[in-house]
Amino acid sequence: MTQTQSAPPPSVAAAPPQGAAGQAPNARSAGPRGAVAQWFEGTPGRMRAFLILAAAMSVVFGLAAAQGFSQSDGSLERAQANTAQLVRIQAIHTNLVSANADATNAFLVGGLEPPEQRAHFVNSMAAAAGLIADAASAQPADREVLGALNKTLITYEGLIEQARANNRQGLPIGSQYLKDANSVLQDDSLPLVKALVEANEKRVDAEFDGISKGTIWILVGGLLSLVVFVITLRWLARRTHRYLNLPIAAGAALVLLTTVIGGVSLASASGAAKDTRNSEYERTLALSRARIAAYDARSNESLTLIARGSGDAFDKAYNTAAAEVDNQLGKSSGTTDGLQQAWAEYKQVHSKVREADSSGNWDGAVVMAVGGEKAGTNDSAQTFAAFDASSSQQLTASSDAVAGDLTDARDGLPPIGWLGIPIGFVAALLVAWGMSQRLEEYR
Amino acid sequence: MKKLIPIAATTALLLTACSTGNYAATQIPTKPSPSAAAPPTPTEPKACTDGKDPLASYVPPATLPKPEEPVTGYLKTIRDRKRLIAGVSADSLHLGARNPITGQIEGFDIDMVKAVATAIFGTWEGHLELRVISSPQRIPSLQNGSVDIVARNMTINCERWDQIAFSAEYYRSGQKTLVPLNAKETSVKQLSGKTICAPAGSTSLTNLIKENPAVKPITADSDTGCLVLFQQGKAYGISGDDTVLAGDAAQDPYAKVLTAERFSEEPYGLGIKKGNVDFVKFVNGVLAQMKSSGAWMESYNAWLMPDLGKLTTPPPAVYGRTQ
Repeated sequence: MTQTQSAPPPSVAAAPPQGAAGQAPNARSAGPRGAVAQWFEGTPGRMRAFLILAAAMSVVFGLAAAQGFSQSDGSLERAQANTAQLVRIQAIHTNLVSANADATNAFLVGGLEPPEQRAHFVNSMAAAAGLIADAASAQPADREVLGALNKTLITYEGLIEQARANNRQGLPIGSQYLKDANSVLQDDSLPLVKALVEANEKRVDAEFDGISKGTIWILVGGLLSLVVFVITLRWLARRTHRYLNLPIAAGAALVLLTTVIGGVSLASASGAAKDTRNSEYERTLALSRARIAAYDARSNESLTLIARGSGDAFDKAYNTAAAEVDNQLGKSSGTTDGLQQAWAEYKQVHSKVREADSSGNWDGAVVMAVGGEKAGTNDSAQTFAAFDASSSQQLTASSDAVAGDLTDARDGLPPIGWLGIPIGFVAALLVAWGMSQRLEEYR
Repeated sequence: MKKLIPIAATTALLLTACSTGNYAATQIPTKPSPSAAAPPTPTEPKACTDGKDPLASYVPPATLPKPEEPVTGYLKTIRDRKRLIAGVSADSLHLGARNPITGQIEGFDIDMVKAVATAIFGTWEGHLELRVISSPQRIPSLQNGSVDIVARNMTINCERWDQIAFSAEYYRSGQKTLVPLNAKETSVKQLSGKTICAPAGSTSLTNLIKENPAVKPITADSDTGCLVLFQQGKAYGISGDDTVLAGDAAQDPYAKVLTAERFSEEPYGLGIKKGNVDFVKFVNGVLAQMKSSGAWMESYNAWLMPDLGKLTTPPPAVYGRTQ
């Protein structure tokens, strides 16, 4: 190979003798290093350098395009998975507070629990247990906390069953077991659930942010390669006095096309994801939070009544929780008007319950709070159930919409994730082809 | 240049490897560790600051105003409100406990406030609001006026006379110890090193430590809280008034009360806000009527006699305070 350099170029007459004259002593004195240097010496040497640079840049572009696409695609997929996990954790939370609301409310009626309320409690706990197993297999990073949560729930259910057994025998110690169970849930279980919610919200946020980063990869990679291609073409045009090297220009066009298509499709996918994040995802979060706060309020309504006159702390907790429901429903207003109406109806009954209790009519307040035949049509159990049913329906719809939107965004992406590297190689081969045409002339 | 490109590419790839879905494990939140309450140091019962017998209350009027007669003072406040607000326990079986079947709070203490409400309004039904309070809430809820009267197995002593007023004694209880059914011990003195539960802020806790400083005290918010700790094996025994322990033992067939040993005297009085002397006098009049009419004995026989045995007479009332 080194011999070719001394051959006189057929087209450019002036340059080679200079190069050849300067090269010869170097090649002799510098050994193998000198051979490499010699290889890059003179015009053909520069050509080789440009060839390597442009080909390498093409491959790098291919890698960057592939990386950008797989990153965006991966972020979309993970955003979807993490959103699903978040919805799952919030469903666990909802089921737990809902079960606890049943348990505390049942205490107001004594040992004779309404069968449907008991069934609702059992179903909620069973649903929570199933969701915990699902959540642990879906996100290994959550496994430890979910395990700890399971342990607290075993304690909680044990205490609830003891409370139930004692209540059924008419023993006052049942109420103490119930209080203990409630404090296990509030002090041990729910902080774990809250930690899970926070961690998963952060993960969803990080992935949503990651979707647009894929665009940067493909744009930066594309622009850098195009710059290299343009410099190469310009240099070639000047040096060889030919306007256009077709294969290299085709490589540049391929890079440009890939950059434009890739950039546009990634930008639109990340735009779609952003829309989802600001609309359906926000709505899902708001609805979940509203439901959790609502159950919390309902539990506190019962606890205030159980405390019989010394339940100021629970009444305050009710007010905080109820304000949170209003706040969260307000965030998703326009789409949840029916819910706000249902919640307002419950709040109205609640204020009647409080009114009865604080005017000394505890029994009347309890009848309204537990519902049943004696309560007539407008009791807090019924109005709450109405809110529960319609909010649950809306939550399912909006979390399905998040999953659907993100799947659509992924499906809309062109297959550059796995085509990127082949495209880079094709561009590199085009460069090599185009450059070797010129190099041939130096043989 | 040739070398830099692959290096740059690998670094770039490595940099983005941070978002491959390998998340840091979710952290278990650290819980604030509950600060262990220091056991109270036993103090000698101090004499009343006014130099009176702690059991002495205010002399009742010769005749009580009838429900239809006009009244003055605090009694008028209650009558204008159309109901008496009483702070009671809802979990001390036979004293003040919520009957899970009927939902009503009932017991010996409750009978006392029912009698007071009946004396004010002619009937207690619809005129008695029972507020469930915990043991440490008894004195604060009287002081802030959220209840008119406290009937929650409250021991009369001089320390409390400084904060509130008491009616005449309506029951004489004493402190005993509840242990497991198979326990060999017969006295609290043999329970050194064992964990014994008593409600926080109660005289039982102070008396227990005075009787045997070597026991490990553990507290709960209420008497029933102690029974839960006992059933969970976290407490070996419970120290408390014989009335309360009788209710606890009735709920747990694997518990027994050391009946032979009674190491303190616990005279029960109804607590009333300090300064409402006219109301204390009225309540004393009601209690005196109950004791003389046999209503007191009837209530005792219904709630406490099966566990605590027959009594020949109710505790005598001691008066001696004027203002």
